[in-house]
Amino acid sequence: MGRLSGRREREQEQRDEWLSAYLDGELSAEEQTRLEAQLATDLALQAELDALRRTVTLVRDLASVPIPRNFILPQTMAARARPAPALRPRRAWTAPFLTAATAVVSLLFVVVLAGDLLLSGAGRGASEPASAWPVAQIAESEAPREAPAPASVGEQVAVTIEVEAETVFEVEEALGLGAVPTDTLLPMPAEAPPNAEPTATDVAEGYVVEESRDVSSTVPAMGGGGPTVEPTTVLPTPSPTMAEKAEDTSTILSTATAVSRADESDLDLTPREMEKITPSPQAVGEAESEAAEAMPGALESEVRDEYDQPPAETLPWRILEIVLGLVALGLALATIRAWRARHS
Amino acid sequence: MPHTMDEASLIAAAQQGKVDAFNELVLTYQQQVYNLAYRIMSDPASAADATQDAFISAYQSIGRFRGGSFKSYLMRIVSNRCYDELRRRKRRPATSFDDFGEVDEEANPALTNGHERPEEYAERQEMAHVIQAGIETLPHDQRITLVLSDVQELSYQEIADAMDVSLGTVKSRLARARGKLRDYLRSERELLPARYRLE
Repeated sequence: MGRLSGRREREQEQRDEWLSAYLDGELSAEEQTRLEAQLATDLALQAELDALRRTVTLVRDLASVPIPRNFILPQTMAARARPAPALRPRRAWTAPFLTAATAVVSLLFVVVLAGDLLLSGAGRGASEPASAWPVAQIAESEAPREAPAPASVGEQVAVTIEVEAETVFEVEEALGLGAVPTDTLLPMPAEAPPNAEPTATDVAEGYVVEESRDVSSTVPAMGGGGPTVEPTTVLPTPSPTMAEKAEDTSTILSTATAVSRADESDLDLTPREMEKITPSPQAVGEAESEAAEAMPGALESEVRDEYDQPPAETLPWRILEIVLGLVALGLALATIRAWRARHS
Repeated sequence: MPHTMDEASLIAAAQQGKVDAFNELVLTYQQQVYNLAYRIMSDPASAADATQDAFISAYQSIGRFRGGSFKSYLMRIVSNRCYDELRRRKRRPATSFDDFGEVDEEANPALTNGHERPEEYAERQEMAHVIQAGIETLPHDQRITLVLSDVQELSYQEIADAMDVSLGTVKSRLARARGKLRDYLRSERELLPARYRLE
């Protein structure tokens, strides 16, 4: 029943639409002819048309309602409600053009961003094994050095003395000086005995030449003697890399140890006391191991820092992404404003 | 059209901020604008408010008027304002001729038909009352469409522009409004004077 009444209602609405348009002359010639033919034979349809026509007439004949007052704007009100300045003729294509521009720029932004992400991901994947390479190499190169076989002290001292001799010669050449006596040899390791000759000085920063007392004491030729060696001064060096620092450290340790031992004879110390203040080769080796273990970690973090920073070649892409994003946002806002103004 | 050039000059002057020029336009169209508002709102006070607001809004936005029918421009503003007000309302206002109060004779130079007898005048007022009641039963969009077409005598295209809808929508809404009003008048035929009743 409901469906039937709904169907009848739709038919009635369709009929009214035809009749209403016919009254207003809004039907096409063909539709008008068809309707008039139907009206000629359908009395009910004629009655509907007549009722509709009278209704329209009654509404059109409604008398004008008297206005209660004039609605002119007083000067004070007009001053408050100043008209908006006449805008430049708004072209009909402004809003669609902005819409298209927004779409294009947005698409470009998405493409650039997607491409950057894909390439960055591929680049990182390819470089990951390599990133481990420097660390591995460094780790390998800085593998904890085993404490040198406990060679004879004499041999150790001899090697050390040769290094120092070369160094002294180089310094003398550079400075045009004779041997520069000094009591400051090289930076002392942490475990250096408190009475060891070299004072603690950070050598790595550059030239350091320090006065020292004349250490005319010879390095005791333990087990064979050797040339008198005057402990040398600090070398002019640029900031060494961590690897070089590691090497220097071991050299320092060896030298300090040798010097420490060399000065032993100048001290009236009992062997027992000497043991206390002089690091044993084993202790030196342990110190070297600790230093070497620390190096890879420091180096590794240094290398990782380099790889964590974005490569310089991706920077232009990032800038492009930012610019495209801002332009797309600005165009979108302008588009919204243009469509609103168009419909105002 | 004899007033076209004058109207164009008045509009141009109003766009320059000349209030007097705009008030000339107000005097020309205030009757139609108010009647439209009244037929939609069915309440003289609300119709007056809507009319005043519409003219103020029209003055403020006249800089964006790009030509065409100024009447349609005004009709669009006032019908939109009335439509917004109707949606905010929750009750139907009772139509009462007493609400008119004193009529401004200066604003209504020809209020009555000089050849009309008092009985005819009374019947006409009664018929208008019933028709207005019937218009109030219509949905807002159909009501506005019917008034723009049959009270203000706007064309289909002008109605489409004023309401920002398509021609097909105008035809559909108008047909439905007329059909419902016809059915209402049939159901309330006893209220209509004999000569106005639908057969």
